[in-house]
Amino acid sequence: MATSRSDRGPSLRKDRAPSDAGTPPFRRLLVANRGEIAVRIIRACREMGIESVATYSDADADALHTRLADAAERIGPAPASESYLSIEAIIAAALRSGAQAIHPGYGFLSENAAFATAVEEAGLVFVGPPPATLEALGDKLAARRSVAAAGVPIVPGLLVPLVADGQGSLASVDLGGVRFPALLKAAAGGGGRGMRRVEDRSELEAAVAGAGREALAAFGDGTLYLEQLVAPARHVEVQLLGDRHGSLAVLGERECSVQRRHQKLLEESPSPAVSPGLRAQLAESARRVAATVAFHSAATVEFLVDAEGGHYFLEMNTRLQVEHGVTELVTGLDLVAWQIRVAAGERLSQAVLAAAPSGHAIEVRIYAEDPHANFAPVSGRVGAWHMPDGPGIRVDAGVTAQMPLPVEYDPLLAKLLVHAEDRPSAVARLRRALAETVVGGVQTDLSFHHWLVDQPGFLAGAYDTDLVHDLWGDGPRLSDGERALAAEVARQARGRSPMGLRRGGALVATESAWSAQARREAVGRRRPA
Amino acid sequence: MSAFEVSIDGSPVEPAAGWTLTWLDAAAGIARLSDGSRSEVCLVEGSGTDWVVTLRGRRIPVAVRTWREGVLADAESASSHHDGPVEVRATLPGLVVAVAVQEGDEVAQGATLLTVEAMKMQNEVRSPRAGRVAALAVVAGQPVAAGAPLLRIE
Repeated sequence: MATSRSDRGPSLRKDRAPSDAGTPPFRRLLVANRGEIAVRIIRACREMGIESVATYSDADADALHTRLADAAERIGPAPASESYLSIEAIIAAALRSGAQAIHPGYGFLSENAAFATAVEEAGLVFVGPPPATLEALGDKLAARRSVAAAGVPIVPGLLVPLVADGQGSLASVDLGGVRFPALLKAAAGGGGRGMRRVEDRSELEAAVAGAGREALAAFGDGTLYLEQLVAPARHVEVQLLGDRHGSLAVLGERECSVQRRHQKLLEESPSPAVSPGLRAQLAESARRVAATVAFHSAATVEFLVDAEGGHYFLEMNTRLQVEHGVTELVTGLDLVAWQIRVAAGERLSQAVLAAAPSGHAIEVRIYAEDPHANFAPVSGRVGAWHMPDGPGIRVDAGVTAQMPLPVEYDPLLAKLLVHAEDRPSAVARLRRALAETVVGGVQTDLSFHHWLVDQPGFLAGAYDTDLVHDLWGDGPRLSDGERALAAEVARQARGRSPMGLRRGGALVATESAWSAQARREAVGRRRPA
Repeated sequence: MSAFEVSIDGSPVEPAAGWTLTWLDAAAGIARLSDGSRSEVCLVEGSGTDWVVTLRGRRIPVAVRTWREGVLADAESASSHHDGPVEVRATLPGLVVAVAVQEGDEVAQGATLLTVEAMKMQNEVRSPRAGRVAALAVVAGQPVAAGAPLLRIE
């Protein structure tokens, strides 16, 4: 069985840009990721005159990123542990395809020091920071210590691991002044995994035992620490871009407080909660955090901002973020292209170092999740797929119409971004864009976003990380008006269908019925409603 | 004017009057719904009696039946409606991370039975109705395929 696909014929060659942006930094780059971020990186490569090589598991043989790249390499069966997380398979694919560099995207192996090391040992360029930096920042507890030593405020709490000996020793251990409720975190954790809220000191012993087992299973490391729970809080992060020559650009902040399960649903820049004074403080803190490690490429420093405007370091992510496009819209920069240039040794330009954000950008994430059922992921197949366009709209999608959704991976389908001159115009544009957006086949979180853009708290920019929990729950009940409207749509759809018969119960529009409908519409024979 | 009976979640619904449906992409089922002053885009998928209408991102299953189909469906549902055992199955392939019940436990409708991790998320499996847990077929740490029996509610 062939394990690689050859380049896709000469016709695709023609649309590669003649490199009017200068000599491409690499001839060929392998994308070690899938979905929308793989598509995003492939697009950057095409604009830069770099040949792109997609990697795909058996579940993604017909995926969008597999089809869009110049070449594609199979890296294994569907489970991520045997494909997108297989260092060996990815390095082999890169060498086989003749790629000179590997872009890891986000998630998967993007912050894995062993992977970055293996890439360099294979004589390839890792598009990301040095392995030692990934190693240093991967230990969240060590990062807390070095950041605190650099004079950056951290969330009050322990700087040493919290260890349960099963003998009740936690009842007397010094918790560094942490009050309850508190947050138990895994030193090797991230992305909301291995996190546990502890209401009272009496619960600590049991919580440590449980969370320790969870962290051990998830990360292979059960080390835990305790932080003060900051609530209400906003989640604000600062985008950084650095080169290999010591230059660092601070590209403003993103507000990321709309979250479920500690994972983001909507991001915007600038943050409505950040004053010019706080912005300067955040930028200074982010610079200090970056200075604690040897850093180049793109990174994000995450902070909590409390009700009094105090900010606390959470973590530094040395990779592209899902929400990087928000910063791209307000700065006009291409962060992915710059990651690739910096990896090749180029210096950040004066334009990057002097970039000043303009206007307001908002991103909503379109997930195959049911927001009316605790945002549980849904499986199935995307049916209809219509994305908005027009002024100030950007869509980064990893799927298109009639595509099956592999259950093995993250259910992010696409990101819808808008940019406008100010926040009210951006919200109006987002509302317009959502109204144009149609996704069929599966429930998505779009119904949540439709609701959110009309919420007074959101419109006022006054919201925190508890918004989804406190105000949405499982969403409003279906109103009588909505039921009557849905009933009317279905009634008209059936009434106009020439086929009144059940077709195996399949919830798929029958081509012939719709075509016949279109013909009737075309000749203007419309029944009164 | 309609010969159809429309219902949502098993309850009859009187369709809204005064709205016109204009197809934007008839093949895909995308239409504009307008009452002359307001309008919005909606999606309708389905055939025969079973339809799903998506309004403002929310999927709403709608049954559209002739009188005859309605009578047949009611008869079918009456014959299948009983208090017999209900098999609870995995809806996604994943890993059972926690089992909250034991065989013999009495559970309420909606009670958490177990937690299955799929698509990187932990999903709670809830009881479809009140009853007693029987035939518990999985333990924590066990991978399950889509459709695999997890337990039975009697």
